[in-house]
Amino acid sequence: MILKNILKEVRQKKSYTQEELGNKVGVSRQTIISIERYRYKPTLELAMKIAQKLNIKIEKLFYFE
Amino acid sequence: MALSKKEISILIEIVFSIVFAFIFLPYFYENQDNNLILMDDLIGKIIEILIFTVIYFSVAYSLLEFVFKKKETKDERDDMINSKSYKLGYLLYEFSLFIFIGYVCSKLQNKELLNLTGNQELYNGFNLTDVGIVFLILMLLAFISIVKSLYQFYLYRTV
Repeated sequence: MILKNILKEVRQKKSYTQEELGNKVGVSRQTIISIERYRYKPTLELAMKIAQKLNIKIEKLFYFE
Repeated sequence: MALSKKEISILIEIVFSIVFAFIFLPYFYENQDNNLILMDDLIGKIIEILIFTVIYFSVAYSLLEFVFKKKETKDERDDMINSKSYKLGYLLYEFSLFIFIGYVCSKLQNKELLNLTGNQELYNGFNLTDVGIVFLILMLLAFISIVKSLYQFYLYRTV
């Protein structure tokens, strides 16, 4: 089971750049890139912050496949 | 290949370890069998190493700050990468320590055996000097530092 996400789609829908979203949740652009490419699994705290900023439920943003 | 500020700072560390190994380690290697090395000479070498280190890192990091003016955020991904690479460094350090102790013990034991055979020439050529020990420690530290930084760089590129 791989932890995937729809971060890229949601972020683009909200017209945020990776840099902007990173600044909003207090991480670097590289971290947002890594999450979008499923390379890095964020902590629960960061995942919740991202979901909150994008106004989406965490279980919708992150899912197992 | 675009490199981030953090990746370049790791490369600076790798280059330092390699330069250190090529410039300063030969001095200790060449003198490891020399018991007559003067303390002044050794202190002079240590001062030389310190001055080189200070100048190298000052210039390198000043240039880095000049090129990348923007401050990069340190986040949980950096912590994860650092903890993984430092863990590898620590494991290598422990492993090297065992090898080092084993090497010193075997050398001392072999020397005793050579003494029993009465072969004075072989016995004299089998010395473990202070400089030899310093050389071994510095070589191990440089090796561990290079491997740790390379792994850190690899993680930054792949995670």
